[in-house]
Amino acid sequence: MDFAAFADRAGEIDAESADTAVTERVSVLLADAGSELPTVVRFLQGRVFPAHDSRTLDIGPALCYEAIARAAGQNVTAEDVESRLADRGEIGAVAASYEFGGQQGLGAFTGGDDGGLTVAEVDSTLRDVAAAEGDGSQDTKRDLLFGLFNRSSPAEARYLARLVLGEMRIGVGGGTVRDAVSEAFDVPVDAVERALQVTNDYGLVAEVAREDGTDGLGELRLEIGRPVQAMLAQTGTVTGALEDWETAAVEIKYDGARVQVHYDGDDVRLFSRNMEEVTEPLPEVVTFVERELDVPAILDGEVVAVDEDGEPLPFQEVLRRFRRKHDVAKAREDVEVRLQAFDCLHAGVPGSDAESVEDLLDAPLRERRQRLETLLDAGVSEWWLAEDAEEIEAIEAEALQSGHEGIMLKDPESTYSPGRRGKHWRKRKPDVETLDLVVTGAEWGEGRRAELLGTFEVSVRTPDGYAPVGNVATGITDEQLESLTERLEPHVRSEDGVAVDLEPAVVFEVGYEELQTSSTYESGYALRFPRFLGVREDKGPDDADTLERVERLAAEQ
Amino acid sequence: MFNAIVSADTLQATLDSVSVLVEECKIHLEEDGLEIRAVDPANVGMVDLSLSASAFESYETDGGLIGVNLSRLEDIAGMADADQLIHLELDEETRKLHIAIDGLEYTLALINPDSIRQEPDLPDLDLPAQIVLEGRDIDRAVKASDMVSDHIELGVDDTDDLFYVDAEGDTDDVHLELTAEDLIDLTAGPASSLFSLDYLKDMNKAIPSDAEVTVDLGEEFPVKLHFEIAEGQGQVTYMLAPRVQSD
Repeated sequence: MDFAAFADRAGEIDAESADTAVTERVSVLLADAGSELPTVVRFLQGRVFPAHDSRTLDIGPALCYEAIARAAGQNVTAEDVESRLADRGEIGAVAASYEFGGQQGLGAFTGGDDGGLTVAEVDSTLRDVAAAEGDGSQDTKRDLLFGLFNRSSPAEARYLARLVLGEMRIGVGGGTVRDAVSEAFDVPVDAVERALQVTNDYGLVAEVAREDGTDGLGELRLEIGRPVQAMLAQTGTVTGALEDWETAAVEIKYDGARVQVHYDGDDVRLFSRNMEEVTEPLPEVVTFVERELDVPAILDGEVVAVDEDGEPLPFQEVLRRFRRKHDVAKAREDVEVRLQAFDCLHAGVPGSDAESVEDLLDAPLRERRQRLETLLDAGVSEWWLAEDAEEIEAIEAEALQSGHEGIMLKDPESTYSPGRRGKHWRKRKPDVETLDLVVTGAEWGEGRRAELLGTFEVSVRTPDGYAPVGNVATGITDEQLESLTERLEPHVRSEDGVAVDLEPAVVFEVGYEELQTSSTYESGYALRFPRFLGVREDKGPDDADTLERVERLAAEQ
Repeated sequence: MFNAIVSADTLQATLDSVSVLVEECKIHLEEDGLEIRAVDPANVGMVDLSLSASAFESYETDGGLIGVNLSRLEDIAGMADADQLIHLELDEETRKLHIAIDGLEYTLALINPDSIRQEPDLPDLDLPAQIVLEGRDIDRAVKASDMVSDHIELGVDDTDDLFYVDAEGDTDDVHLELTAEDLIDLTAGPASSLFSLDYLKDMNKAIPSDAEVTVDLGEEFPVKLHFEIAEGQGQVTYMLAPRVQSD
């Protein structure tokens, strides 16, 4: 498929507003995509790699502006591109406003075809971009991007630029793709949904749906080394849980970071809840799993930091380890982490051959826990089955006493639904809620802090992007400001005086006293007394709290 | 099999000529010497290099193809003084290159050549004008132009028999003329093409200032820059595609 054809279709999809019309257009595109189907599916969602793949293009906006400037012609600079961005507000529109193609390729002089870009070519070039690393890799990335832009028409450039920065903005989310695959290849939505849950790979699922239909989708299994989305919890109450289930499974809620453990019988790989690989920063967990597990397995759990006496340390201590790429040994001396596994998604059958591995997603929690306990002697989180509210409150008091965050309530008969924030898991936090919010703006400080970003605009997720709910300026030390500035600077989209517009990338955990309705902020809500609690290293902008949650919390106040 | 000894400055000049365009390249080990051909990721600039076996102190091979990361190899070669000798030996089993410099031994993991961008076809160019000049004159033209613009026009005025360089910036311009007397040689013909300084600056870095550079030029055609390294035992040709002149 020519990239120009893809860009045309993306433009048509972009122009539709009704969900059904969008799904219809996507389904026709998928049916026409031919051998490029998996790539087209990913491109529609602004991705080059499937979600379970840790590879990224690793291109900041600045590098993209430079590539566009170079393709745009004589004496156009990255600053020119940035100022157009300030006018037009969106990188796709900026890219489409230039006339590219002035630089000829050598291919035009070898009798070879220097013709139009194909979807496959864009994909393979972007994979080269992702693969470039080490000295000079920024130059290589820029050259590769320049080569792509240089061969793009304005329509192609619009979607190429958005793809490169991972923000397609054509209204195609996971649900649209799921429904479109079902429509295009005549397979039930449920079968597609289940296949997506176990593979976490839209491209693969679309291809299997087309080639092997419902049966093929049914044969897709969890695969060790391919992380799935974590099952999530809502907030809930003890009485509500007991009313719904009679018996509740009660677990300690650790103040840790979610981790998915994949063990293939030889090697251990660990993934964060963002599905980023965190094997290297957590060697003691790797060693522990290698020692304890006898069969291949995929486990869900929490990594917690402990002090010398094995007492739990706060969340920030774990996150410090998560991001660590260098000096892991040194960090490990400062903070030790431990695994607290609480679920088992996939496990080998002890005593049988290596091939014999079962998916347990559809088994009830009760059974999965039992399996987990047969696999691991240590490192399994404590749990209780309780029918009585007082018993549960005693467990909670004990948990809080020991320095944990609270308790989790789970339906013992429920299956594991990857990526779902369902009513089967509920978290009960005794204190005021915190929100995980995306930083979308900031201001340069004054005086001594003139070189530092401060007063961060924080936003919730909305169906169309992000909407601010407040500014966070308190609770941050100078040292933190320095590291936050360093973190955020590559994400600067544009600046206007002291105000800085940031692309959504970093997520703050923000505490507050109350939610108020507000006309100041686009979201319609404002946080009272917001304070910075830390960076959620384990969360990306797509995992931030939604406007819907804020509405619910406000209603509950 | 590949086993060779070469002076550090020859190896460095060879690597530098290629690394200005690409990070990784394939090196063909031929009986009569090394051959490298590579094109930049955007397919705009190309290098075609050969280094004769006679440029080496000793050179033995029965042919082959290796892939190298140029900056890694450059770093290693940089450990030697210019007049020191570098011993290169390919371990076929491990696909590693053993490099010895005066007692210092280094083992470099090679890259699978299949993973490196395909080598380009050589454009068959019949360019009407030829200018022969010293590397330092190119350096001067490139540096002056870079002060005002990101593009440079190279041309020949075939009525007045001169080679000219034009760079137009948003506010400032640079113009340079070199007559037949300033040049080593000039074959006049209709020629004028616009080039990206991004590329030309990189190529310029690898051209020794005292080298005799042969520049072949046409109308809206790629430019060829040819010069020798390793005292005439190495041949380097750059080719750079033009930018369409808008006015």
